[in-house]
This record gives sequence, C-alpha cells and structure tokens, in this order.
Amino acid sequence: MDAYVKSLQTWLMNTSVSYAMNNYHYAWRTSESIHFIGLSLLIGTVGLFDLRMMGLLRRVPLPALHRLIPFGILGYCMNVMTGLTFLAGAPDQYIYNPAFQMKMLFMGTAGLNVAVFYLTMYRRVAAAGPAAEAPLPARIAGTVSLLCWIGVIFCGRFLTFFRPPGWHWCPWC
Amino acid sequence: MPPDMDWDLKGFFMLLEQSGISVWVRESPSLLAFPTVISLHAVGMGLVAGGNAAMDLRILGFAQGIPISSLERFVPVIRFGFWLNAISGLLLLLAYPTKALTNPVFYLKLLFIALALVDTLLIRKQIIYKAVAPDTSVATKGKILAAVSLALWAGAIISGRLLAYTYHYLNSSFDSRRGY
Repeated sequence: MDAYVKSLQTWLMNTSVSYAMNNYHYAWRTSESIHFIGLSLLIGTVGLFDLRMMGLLRRVPLPALHRLIPFGILGYCMNVMTGLTFLAGAPDQYIYNPAFQMKMLFMGTAGLNVAVFYLTMYRRVAAAGPAAEAPLPARIAGTVSLLCWIGVIFCGRFLTFFRPPGWHWCPWC
Repeated sequence: MPPDMDWDLKGFFMLLEQSGISVWVRESPSLLAFPTVISLHAVGMGLVAGGNAAMDLRILGFAQGIPISSLERFVPVIRFGFWLNAISGLLLLLAYPTKALTNPVFYLKLLFIALALVDTLLIRKQIIYKAVAPDTSVATKGKILAAVSLALWAGAIISGRLLAYTYHYLNSSFDSRRGY
C-alpha cells in the first residue's frame, strides 16, 4: 500500500501540471482563486438547497431550487480540477497531512450522502408541492450535506496548520 | 519602514498588534484562534458570495421555477454570511493590521464588497420588491445588475485570495517581505 502511494506521489510530481504549479509564478494563486469561487458556487446552491430541506426558506419551492444544483456541480468540478493541481504541485504536503485526510473523509461522506439522497429520496422531493416541507430522511440528508461541506471547508483551511514534515499521518504505512 | 510612512500610523499599527485580541488570534496555539477564524471566513464567503450568486443566476434566467419575489428569502442567509465575515474579517484584520492596511489590494477588496452590497440592495429594491406573481422573467436592467453582482463577488474573492501574495509588510516592524 505504501509503495503504491509513493509511486503515485512520484507520478504526480512528474506531471506537466506539477511542473507548471512549481514554475509558473501565477499558478498557485490562479488555482486558489478558482478554488474559492467554486467553493462559493457549491455552498451558494447546494448549501441553500440543504437549508431549504432543513426547513428554512420555506417560501422557495424545493423542486425549483433544485434547478440551481448544476451550478453547484460546476463549482464542485472546478474544485476537483484545481484541487488536483495543488495535489500535483506538492503531493507530500497533502497526502500525509491530517487535515487533507480528514477533508477527503468529509468529501467521501458528502458523496455517499448525495448517492443515498438521489437513490432513495429525490423522487419524493422533486414531486413535492411548492411550499411542502421535505420528508424527515431528506431533512437529515440536507443536514449531513451541509455539515460535511462545512467540514470540508474547515479542513481545507486547516491544511496550512498541519503540514508535513511537522505533521505526518500515514495510516496505510 | 517606507520613507513616506507616518510614524503615528506605525504607532497605531503597533497598538493594534499588541492588543490582547490581536495577540490571541495571531499567536494562540489553539485551533480555535487563527485556524477557526479563517475557516469561518471561508464558510461566510460561501454563504454571502454564493447566496448572492444563486440570486443573480435566478435573475439571469436560470431556475425559473423560483418566483422572483421569493428571492427575498435568500437574504437572511446572505446576511448571516455577511456578518460572519464582517466579524471574522475584523479579527483577521486585528491580527495583521499592517499586512492588510499597507496593501492596496485590501482596499480593492473592500471596494468590491461595498459595490456588491450596493448592487444587491438595488436588485432587491428595483427587481425583487417590485415582482408580482407570476413573475418569471426579468427586464434587461435587472439582468445587468445581476451580471455585475457576479463579477463583483468574483472580484472580492480573487482580491481576497491575492492578499496572501501581494502584501508588502507583515507587521509594524516594516521588515520588507520581498526584499524591496
């Protein structure tokens, strides 16, 4: 397992993206700016939808609010792509960073939550009347989603304070 | 210390930096200090800029099932994000007053935010309050205001992000960061 991670690390460092991140002066700040705009798109649409399922903004029709979710997906994609540029730019600073590992855990939980939501609850939510309250499972899914994304943001900002080599988490070593 | 810098200003920066709250945010080893304040600033950014963007996108013609008049319901979320960031931003400013206040990009960020807030106020007064159901489409004037709002919030985010790269002095000792 550790050998596999190390080879991934080496591979990442030899990509042209990694070269660009470390040699093009404006690379990090550009990626970071896009990452923060993507974050805002995600929280502004998915977060709002979560809050609506939790019972806030009840006058906004739930199925209509869902039409903004594609912009959240756009933000998510922006952030996966820019996130990969960071990872390629300095793989060791992320892979062994406890905040990064927690961030991935939160993202995984959010992903699982999204899958459960669309597989088991979405149809009822989409068919709901404009002023209808979300059913209890959807309220829970909304709460889990919002908490996960807040967790992702916190861990993202905590990365700086848990940098290797001062910190070195390696559960697979 | 830049030659044109007034000594009173240096004293003012020192006074802020030595205040208890400034020292705590900047130097406390607690995760509740600087790390949490800056994390809350990112969460608030998502709410204020993202919530505004959602409003703007609806006005631009996306998600037309959302009645324009109901966009006012987004405002408490946006307002919460704004105050979260006003408070966390003030704490960050107190932690590094010299760093922010000697950097023109910081004032650019404040300008973007001020203009974006005025823009949102105009959108509410001229579009949202005047909307009568069924209100699906918005006049061109509203769409321009919404597009400008998106650009202003993007500007605020980018200039905020650039603060980490463009500052000249970290603290009131005025030791230059970049050797000029």
